Amino acid sequence: MYGYRVVRAILCPTVQRSLKHLIYRRNFGTQVLAFNLRAPAVSVIPSRNYASEKKVFQRTKPHCNVGTIGHVDHGKTTLTAAITKVLADKELAESKKYSDIDNAPEEKARGITINVAHIEYQTENRHYGHTDCPGHADYIKNMITGTAQMDGAILVVAATDGAMPQTREHLLLAKQIGIDHIVVFINKVDAADSEMVDLVEMEIRELLTEMGYDGDNVPIIKGSALCALEGKNPEIGSEAIVKLLEEVDKHIPTPVRDLDKPFLLPVENVYSIPGRGTVVTGRLERGTIKKGNECEFVGYNKVMKSTITGIEMFHQILEEAQAGDQLGALVRGVKRDDIKRGMVMCKPGTVKPLDHFEAQVYILSKEEGGRSKPFTSFIQLQMFSRTWDCATVVNIPGKEMVMPGEDAKLVLKLIRPMVLEKGQRFTLRDGSITLGTGVVTNILTPLSDAQRAELTEGKKAREKKAAGKN
Amino acid sequence: MFFKHAIKRLSMARMPYSTDVKSALAALRKKTGYTFANCKKALEMHNNDLAKAEQWLNQQAQTMGWAKATKLEGRATAQGLVGVLVRENIGAMVEINCETDFVARNDNFKNFVSHATKVCAQYTEMTDFDGDLWKLGFESEALRNLKLDDGKTLGDHLALLIGTVGENATVRRAICFKTNNELSLFGYTHPSKDSTIPQPNEVRFGRYGAIVAFRSAETNLDLQKNLVQHIIGMDPNKVGEKGKDEPVENKDDEKCLIHQEYLLDPSATVGEILQENQLEVVDFQRFECGEPSKNEAFAAEKLVN
Repeated sequence: MYGYRVVRAILCPTVQRSLKHLIYRRNFGTQVLAFNLRAPAVSVIPSRNYASEKKVFQRTKPHCNVGTIGHVDHGKTTLTAAITKVLADKELAESKKYSDIDNAPEEKARGITINVAHIEYQTENRHYGHTDCPGHADYIKNMITGTAQMDGAILVVAATDGAMPQTREHLLLAKQIGIDHIVVFINKVDAADSEMVDLVEMEIRELLTEMGYDGDNVPIIKGSALCALEGKNPEIGSEAIVKLLEEVDKHIPTPVRDLDKPFLLPVENVYSIPGRGTVVTGRLERGTIKKGNECEFVGYNKVMKSTITGIEMFHQILEEAQAGDQLGALVRGVKRDDIKRGMVMCKPGTVKPLDHFEAQVYILSKEEGGRSKPFTSFIQLQMFSRTWDCATVVNIPGKEMVMPGEDAKLVLKLIRPMVLEKGQRFTLRDGSITLGTGVVTNILTPLSDAQRAELTEGKKAREKKAAGKN
Repeated sequence: MFFKHAIKRLSMARMPYSTDVKSALAALRKKTGYTFANCKKALEMHNNDLAKAEQWLNQQAQTMGWAKATKLEGRATAQGLVGVLVRENIGAMVEINCETDFVARNDNFKNFVSHATKVCAQYTEMTDFDGDLWKLGFESEALRNLKLDDGKTLGDHLALLIGTVGENATVRRAICFKTNNELSLFGYTHPSKDSTIPQPNEVRFGRYGAIVAFRSAETNLDLQKNLVQHIIGMDPNKVGEKGKDEPVENKDDEKCLIHQEYLLDPSATVGEILQENQLEVVDFQRFECGEPSKNEAFAAEKLVN
């Protein structure tokens, strides 16, 4: 590493630039695997030389989203500032001041206002998006809009106070938004003595276990974010931060990238080209496809097998399409009329149509363009997801109504099964009004024919039935 | 720095069995829930005597609570809970605010809201009046001076809460109802813990709350609950009188209760439902957590004009 620094110092920027060019040229279009292997070499090239221009994001490391949770006075923001400072010293992040991160700015994500601070930094191994929100509702909105789904969380606890009563609520939230991996940072150890710190650690482990986490094996790092920020006492300051980031690197697994998942393409249009056959167009959502791949069309109560016989992008033949590409695919043996917008083309056997599921939904307030009135169970809405839309009946478990501006767990029943997966995002509309946006959290047993028939029944029929039962 | 070390060594020397100290500190913390720093201080002051340290902590809690409350004063409290309680002819509704919705979900906070609501109900019980309906609103200051059974004021308890959760909290406002004759009260909150009818003397919590005074020949609790829920959901600003108040053109903007579409059956208006069931809404009060109170809203409006 040291040797490299010397070499780097000797080489003038222009040489570096051409070197970088070379590496990138070679990498262009190669496989993911090869790319990863070369990553460490590429990542240490300083990008600071171009500070005056807008920096180009360099996708050289796997990405991971983390966030901080904890009591307001335990130093979440100070820790975040300290992380950026320590990494900035290694030229891996841009140092942020406390005030830059504090007072999380209101952000409009998909038309929804969220109080959230997003910060980015990288370690030697990974690139991170870091989320910090002031309240429970903001984390839920963040999950629903999917601006940065958290893969793991750093729980911050001050050694002087220990766990607060509301730490329980923080962990409940983490559970609710699907965070399985937690790293704990015991902050302010400079203001406490070692036995106190040990006791705080014991207490946190106990609480984590009680809340359903693997308390005995959760990494706990002790330090002082303030010392790190002020550059004092490196053994509890910057070194603790480095240790924390090492544990985050190790303990929070890298999410599977879209590119590595089985392929899926929501069908946007279908054409019949004389002499060639049927072509479907759309944006490849995930995975990669090649000529000759087996595929399956799913949706509207149909499942059809086929083979991809050609891929084109911008009227040019594409050898291999990757997630994100807008493409047309020539498919064998299916007629134009068999396929409809809203179906998906996917790797055979990887997706299933569903008509009954649970979702976490945020209902837009009137200011955000939503309804002014609350709604109750049995409301019929139109659900939009990927390229399809379908009528759905809403049930509100455990509540009687949902007010605008509230988030809620809803059970949705579709009038016909559509391709849906856990984690898929969707929008609910009522006429011309966007009512809410949500994410599928749980898949329920498919509807029986009788249940499906009930969906279209009116209130009177429901009441009659209920009366008959009594 | 050297001085600090010296003190540390001295204190270590004074306590030869550091494992004992550790377990004492752990025990005290577990038992009392006070912060580690305070537990430690208490033990040091009382030579590791658990009982004495605990006693001291309990005595100090009030002062420390006030100290914390003073320190955190002025930090915005936009979250919180509305507590609603109805028993027989009394109803009380209180709004307590805190900084984050995490705290609003915590049991400590809920207990405090429950206490505050009960105190207001108790206060109402002692009042006599003539007529059908008596209403009293409380502002923050008056609420804080209310005395509880233990002789402390609600403000003292609030300071204790602030000391425990380490977050600023405020007692915002309250309203008390008392009825005579055939008037009955119904209170409800949203989101409610389930859709059951509240038990008498049960405090319910939510981000929204409402108390409604009904006049009826017979009580239909399910209908009353649904109507209170409607008021919480549709936010009318007055009951309205037939003939006097005309329905507005755009149904979504209707603020007069009797002309509003009934939440559970949009094909009928609330007025029709009330008539059908021979029920009358005499008065109501709705609280929404964090909303500007009527006085504040009025002042703001004045400012704009």
